[in-house]
Order: sequence, then structure tokens, then C-alpha cells
Amino acid sequence: MAEPSIFFSEVNERQGAFHRRAFLLGGLVGTGLAALGGRLAYLQLVETNRYAKLSSSNQFNFRLVPPPRGVITDRHGVVLATNRPNFRLLVSREDGAEPEAILNSLSEFVAFDPSRKARLIRDLENAPKHTPVSIMDDLTWEEFSAINIRAPELQGVTADMGEVRVYPHGGAFAHVIGYVAKVNKADLTPTGPNSEPILLHPGFRIGRQGLEKSLDLDLRGRPGGQKVEVDARGRQVRQTSDGDIAAIPGKTVQLTLDADIQTRALEVFGQESGAAVMMDCRSGDILCLVSAPSFDANGFVRGMTGPQYQALAEYDHKPLFNKALTATYPPGSTFKTMVALAALEYGIDPQATHVCNGAWAWGGRVWHCDKHHGVVDMHSAISTSCDIYFYQVSLMLGPDRIAEVARKFGLGEVFDIGIPGQKPGLVPDQAYKRRVFKKDPVWHPGETPSMGIGQGYTNVNALQLCVMAARLANGQKALHPRLIEAIGGVAQPAGSAVSDLNVDHRHLDFVRSAMAAVTTTGTAAATAQLGLGDLKMAGKTGTAQSHSYGGGRGVHGTQGAWALRDHAWFVAFAPLDNPRYALSVLVEHGGFGGDSAAPKAREIMRVALMKDPELRAQIEHPTPMPDIPPEAVAEGSAPPEPTPIGPEGPIP
Amino acid sequence: MSMTALSSAGERDRLIVKLGELDRLFCLALILIAGIGALMMFSIAGSNWEPWAGSHLTKFTLFFFMMIALAMIDVRYWFAMAYPIYGVGLALLIAVAVVGDVRLGARRWLDLGPLGSFQPSEIMKLGLVLALGRFYHGISAERARFSWWLLIPALIIGAPVLLVARQPDLGTAILLALTGLTVVCLAGLSWRVILAGIIALLVSVPPVIMFVLHDYQRDRIFTFLKPESDPSGSGYHILQSKIALGSGGLLGKGYGLGSQSQLNFLPEKQTDFIFATLAEEFGFVGCMVVLFLYGTVIFLALRTAALAHSHFGRLSSAGVTATFALYVLINGAMVMGLAPVVGVPMPLLSYGGTVMLTVMIGFGLVQSVKVHRYSEVTSGTGALL
Repeated sequence: MAEPSIFFSEVNERQGAFHRRAFLLGGLVGTGLAALGGRLAYLQLVETNRYAKLSSSNQFNFRLVPPPRGVITDRHGVVLATNRPNFRLLVSREDGAEPEAILNSLSEFVAFDPSRKARLIRDLENAPKHTPVSIMDDLTWEEFSAINIRAPELQGVTADMGEVRVYPHGGAFAHVIGYVAKVNKADLTPTGPNSEPILLHPGFRIGRQGLEKSLDLDLRGRPGGQKVEVDARGRQVRQTSDGDIAAIPGKTVQLTLDADIQTRALEVFGQESGAAVMMDCRSGDILCLVSAPSFDANGFVRGMTGPQYQALAEYDHKPLFNKALTATYPPGSTFKTMVALAALEYGIDPQATHVCNGAWAWGGRVWHCDKHHGVVDMHSAISTSCDIYFYQVSLMLGPDRIAEVARKFGLGEVFDIGIPGQKPGLVPDQAYKRRVFKKDPVWHPGETPSMGIGQGYTNVNALQLCVMAARLANGQKALHPRLIEAIGGVAQPAGSAVSDLNVDHRHLDFVRSAMAAVTTTGTAAATAQLGLGDLKMAGKTGTAQSHSYGGGRGVHGTQGAWALRDHAWFVAFAPLDNPRYALSVLVEHGGFGGDSAAPKAREIMRVALMKDPELRAQIEHPTPMPDIPPEAVAEGSAPPEPTPIGPEGPIP
Repeated sequence: MSMTALSSAGERDRLIVKLGELDRLFCLALILIAGIGALMMFSIAGSNWEPWAGSHLTKFTLFFFMMIALAMIDVRYWFAMAYPIYGVGLALLIAVAVVGDVRLGARRWLDLGPLGSFQPSEIMKLGLVLALGRFYHGISAERARFSWWLLIPALIIGAPVLLVARQPDLGTAILLALTGLTVVCLAGLSWRVILAGIIALLVSVPPVIMFVLHDYQRDRIFTFLKPESDPSGSGYHILQSKIALGSGGLLGKGYGLGSQSQLNFLPEKQTDFIFATLAEEFGFVGCMVVLFLYGTVIFLALRTAALAHSHFGRLSSAGVTATFALYVLINGAMVMGLAPVVGVPMPLLSYGGTVMLTVMIGFGLVQSVKVHRYSEVTSGTGALL
């Protein structure tokens, strides 16, 4: 049992000291371990709830999900603006990742041209860290899936599916609906709806023009939240469907427009510049509101390159400009309907005649007419658009009486149809001269003849002339135009729920019959034939000087530089006997109203009439001629049409 | 095999007897710790042996057999090699100060060409303990208590500590200093001196922090004192580690389900912060099991030291144990937010070959002392060489 050991006292002293101190060391280490255990108990048992919360707030992020923007439809539900899925490539700047290197590695999958690449690098460098920047939209499915698979290796790169605004009709509705675009710094406000964080989301678009702008808050909807599991770099690891907050889509907006009429209206303008507005003259609904030429609003959603935008902005036909609302022109001879009404209301005898031999000397000037109309009364003066007659009648009336009637018919008024930026134009009177011309506040008699033929200070827009035509056709109500039928299913006030027009209906009948003569024997007889059997269109041509002809009477500018030619107008309503549709057509620098505007009005009107189910039935099955007795049908001819048995037909 | 047989001459030199003398419980605890480490690495790699778990186990297996092989070496050889090992370590530290590679802002690595690179401070962890053990083996208790002789251990400790601190590697320097001082105290330093030293240390801490430390070292200390002040910057490590620990709760989130470590919120999850990973996935219970295993290892190693007949054996194995215990305590305190972030791993649990190699060589010495606890070690060259 004897184990070898050392028995020097010196050594035993060292051993004893070591044993005591090693024991102490063991105690110290034990105490240290116990302290760690205590700390663990504190963190893991006492404070665990707090840290569990911190842990899950690390692990889960709520990502804002942009709401689907509200759909815009026409009156029949045809979609004019909607959203389509968009596979998008996002890159965020992470630590130590050079934007250029990222883009280089991405060019394996998608093509960048050098200028675009340079711009993206700049965007990325300017963007805050970890904030995704949209690099490319509209990836194909192949590109999207290829990048998505490789995304974990590509630092800061994500491919996701968002939605993008799409205007399926291209340019036809561009001026009415406008477009959405990326949010600018100028759009952001410190308070209010434009302060919400969703505006910073790369997929969010804000209404920039037209109804997209004015109804932005209705169309916007409410953003949702998506619970995603993220790693320490903020990169999405997994999606968890529980705990998501669904986005509330924007409201659907239904317009009173008819997609077929609108599309046809833009089509008939071809390369020409102008505007066309059509209203239902029973309800006031705007069926078409076109400005030509137009542009593809989808380009603005995607974001245009500099040259693309420049081409649009610098073209002299001004495609970006809404000529139906934000431009005013002299109404020309279309204004004669108003002068005639004013004369009738004033008590001037429509049978009274004037002689037109092409020129009329008055007030030290020679006033011209474009033809020798001979002896004209009011009816023929309207149908043949004799200027001499209206020079003289307007002088009898004076500006204030004409202006009163013109304003009653909506000229010079801004109608709130939901599109901002309309120009009111001007219907001048003596008060206007007093108010505006401080140095010469008197209405000179020589200014009245110009007003009598819709020139001078008189300026209107296409919508106002359409309202004028609609009120003439309606005869009863001071119709208001309505563009927005319903927002989110809530109907907007109808344009017919307005006060009466208070114009003698015999006077209106007179003007309407004169307008009918315009298309049968008058200035538009050759160009305003609908070719729809019994359905006839009434109208009034107008040819408005776009600039002063200079000294003396020049020719109507149908030749020469495009920008110097006259503006052509045509206002119309149809059918003649029971008007349903009113229309105004402007052809900028189009020359004569009858030659240039009337054929376009005819084509647009035809679409409207043929789409109307009742009228269509009338065209397809014309009511039998009453003066042909049934027995006069020749032997062997087709048997007469059987009488249709309607709901109220005779019971056999 | 009876005690009688063991007492016969030469019997203890037989290999089979020596193997039988190994501390089996100690070995089991080591295997369990390394195994748990590999388990955690498997989890945070997304149930993958690559890149850490497989390599960790391979290295541990290799080093474990190396430890057994070292344990077969007579303690007298260790004694004879003590100064040479210390000398080589010191020479390499000087070399690294002159020609070492700068990585991450510190000059710690010595490039060995095709063999890779290593940190000479690791050799010094063992060399220091050996040199002190050898020195104290030769002097009396009287001299060890308080005398001019103590200038020699002061030099033995001071030289490498200063060289390592200059690299700069504050963590290792503190570890070396504390290990050395522990050996000096175990050797019988006067209590008065110890007390005076502690007081002097406490007084000198603020000026050292303000004037001597590098910026990043000072940052770490301030961050530790107030981690919430900069949660995304330098306070990030401590905060995320505490979140990982705290959210683990009693039983943990489950194996492979620790969101802090799996989603990379936890920095250096496979090395310095592996304990936090463990805490997150296995909770308080898992942590206590591992702490208990560490306690077992330290207790068994100290018992080995206490049973050794040679003063060199006692002091050197206790020094190795102290190094190991310091690793565990410092890393534990760091992970739990009780100490500043210093690059000290949890030995055997953390991924990383260098520290594991050092620790296993040290434990080879401890087991050698255990196996050869009756060996006579005379002064001088250790009577063998």
C-alpha cells in the first residue's frame, strides 16, 4: 500500500499552500459558474418575455403592401384603367456591395444598356442603405424565376411581384383619365394623405394628371401589411400568411364615357389636331371627351426617356395638351345660334331680311362675308352662315343681350366634371370692358359685329360648345355635363337635376329648325349626312380665325402654314325630332367648319346613334311609310312584316 | 489490477497501465462538450455538416487522441521542455511583432507559408504555465511567498503579456496575465501582496482605459457598460446575444428553431457566441447542463493537480485548468452581457481549431500529471535528460 511520496518539510509546506489555494481557486471558479447560472436564470426565466418580444420583432417585419389601385370603367363597364401583375427587380444597397458589381452580376439575366446602367448606379448610390430601388419592371416569367432562384447569392437583390397601372385603350382616354407616375419629393407633404409611408414604397404610383390626379385619394385604397420573416440583413427569408393585413383596394370609378364613341372619335381625327365632346342631351352625361392627337399614358407609368418625352412636348400638335378643356378658341359661326336666340328673345322679327352682297360698309370699315348670299332672313342666315346678317342683328342687340343668352347656354362657364385645369374662356359684355380695360373702359359699337359672328373677345372651349348644343337640343333644362357616374358604387349627381333653361321653346324650335337646314341645304349639307335612314342630324358650322388676317380682309386660311389656318367647328345634335346626343367638334387649324369638322361630327354621331338600342331598332326596322297603303303591295312581293307582339300587344 | 501490483517497480511505466490511469469521467465530459458544440453547429448551418460541425468533430477526434498520446509522456519530459517551449513562444511573439501579418487591424498571425498561419500567443498560453511551474518547482515556499525571486515570474509573465497586448490582442493578454497570476498565487504568494495587487489594479483601471487602450478596445468597454446606447453599432453583439439568451426561456425554442442564430441576427454565432445559440435553442436547462459539464472538467482537473506529487505537476496542471476556467467564465460573462466583447471563445464548444488545440495540449499535460502523479521530478533538468 505504500505509495511513493516526498517527506521534506519544505515541500510539504509548498504542497499545503497549494492545496489550500487550489481549493480556493475551485471555489472561485464554482462561484463564477454559479454567477453565470444565476445570470442565465435571470435572463431566461425572469426576463424571458421581454427578450422573446425583442426576438420576434427581430425576426418578423411588417412590409407595407401597396393597395391595388381602383379600376376606372366606362359607362358600360369597359375597363379603361386597371392594374396588371408586374414582375419587378429590386436592388438595395447592402454593406460592402458595390452597385456596379451588383448590376454586372444581374446583366447575366437581364440586359441593361450603358446609359440606363449609369443612371441606375447613380440612383442606387443616392438611395439610403437597405432601401430597395426598382431596377427593372416587366420581367418575363423566365427572367423573374431565374433571378429569384439566384437571389440568395446576389446580395441585396430581390425579385418580387407587384402591380402596375395599365391603360388598355392606349391614348384614347389619356387626357381624361390622365396617368399615374412615380412619387416625387414634391408630392410628399409633412401631414395629410401624402405623408403616409406607403408613398415611399417603390411600387406605389401617384395620380399625376386628369382623373387619376383629382380622384387620387378615392383610387388609392388602403395599404396592407405583410408579415415576413427576415434575417439580420433585412432580407426576406419566408412569408408567413398568418398575421397579414389585407390591403383595401381603391374604389372603382365608373365614368359616363362610352369607350366605343371615344375610341372612334380619336380615330376620326387621324393626324389632325382638335377636340370632340359628346353629351347625352337628356341626362348631361359626357359620352366622349377627346383631345387629338393623344399619347400613350402607359409610357408615363413606366417612365419615359428624355427623348421620348421631348418628342411629345415639342410636337406642334401638342399631344399632351387637353384641347377639349384647357384651350379656348373663338366659337366662330357656331355662336350665331346664340345671337339668333338673343334676337328672338329681344323680339326681332325672324322674317325680316337683310341683303348680303359679300360686303357691308359700316362704321368706316368694310365688313366681309365669304359669299354673296343675297336676300337673307334669320333662318337662311343661320343655315348659310351669313355674316352680313349677323353683323347687323348684333348691332341691334348690343353685346349685353347676346352675352346673357350665351351665358345661359354655358359659354364662359367652368363645369366641375372632376378634371382640374379647365379654362373658362370669355363671353364679353360692357361690364367686362369696364372691368378689364382700365384705359379704354367703353364698349365700342365696332366691337359688336365681331362678337355677332363669334369672333373678337369671344372665346370658348369644346366642352362649353357641347353644353350649348345639348341645352339647345334639350330645350328644357340647363343641363350640366357629368363625367363621373359613380365612385365606389355611389352615383354622382346627374347633370339633368338642374334648374330650367327659361327660354321660349318656340324660339328654340326656330333655331333648331335652322340648324336642321344647315345639314340639309346649308353649309354642311354635303358633309353632315348620317346615312342612317330617317335619323337626321342638325348642326352649325363655325370657322374661326386663329389669328388676325392683318390689314383688310384676307382669305380664310385654308392654305399656307398649318399654324395660321382657321379653326374649324361643328356643333350638332341628333336625332332631329327627338334629340338624344349633342356634340361639338373642333379641328384646330382645320379650315372650314363644314369641310373639316362636320364629317368628323358625322362619324362620331353615327357610332352613338347606332349604339343606342332604340335608335338602332329604328334604323334596322324603319317604321313603314304611312302613305303606302297595305293593299298597294304588289302581287308576289314579300308579305308584310308581321306585327311584333310586344308586352302590351293584343292578346290573341 | 490491484494497488499492490501498481506499487511494484516499473509496473506504472507499462502503456496499458498508463491508459488505465486516464481520467475517464474527464474524457467523457470533454467529448460531451465538443459533441454539443458540433450539434449546435449542425443546427445553425441549416442541418448541415458543412461548414462547421463535421470539421469540428474531426478536429476534436484528432486532438483527443493527441491528448491521450501527450498524457503518455512522462511529466519529467514536460518539465525538461518547459523553458524551451516558453523560449520558442517568446521568440515567435517577438517575430510576429516584427514580421507578422496584419489582419483585422491586429498583428497577431505568423505566416508559415504552405502550413498556413497561426498565432504564437497560443503557444505562450501553454509555455507560460510550464515555465512558471518549472520555476516554482525549484524555489522554496518562503521565497514563493514574497522575495526578490518573484521578479523572475514577474518577468516570465510580463514579457509575453506586453507583447500580446501590443499586437493588439487585449483578450489574450488579459487571459495570459490572469493565468500567470493565478499560478503565482497558487504557488503561495503572500496574501498581503495579493490584496495590495487587487487594490492597485482597481485604482489603475480608469486611467488605463482612458489613456492606454486603443480606440476599439475602449469602445468595447463603453459599449459593454451601456449596450442600448448604440443597438445597431458596437452594442449590437451584446444586445443580440442577450435577446438570443432571453428568448430561449426555460426549455428553448427547439433544436434548429433559434431565430436569432438561424437568421444571422447573432454575430459570430458559430464561434464566440455559440453559447447564445445553445441558450436560444435549448434554453436554461441546456445551458445548465453545459455549465455543469464545464464545472466537472474544471473540478476533475483541479483534483488531478491536487493529487500530483510534484510541485511542477501541481502548478502546471492547475495553470492549464485556470486558463480553461478563465475561457469559460470570460466567454460566459461576455455572452450574457456581463463582460465586454473580447475575442475569447467558449473552449471546445466554439468552432475554431487553434483554441481547441491549445486546450487539448493543455489537457494532455493535465492527464500526463494524472498518469504520472507519483513521478519524482527533481530540480535541474528533471533527472531524465
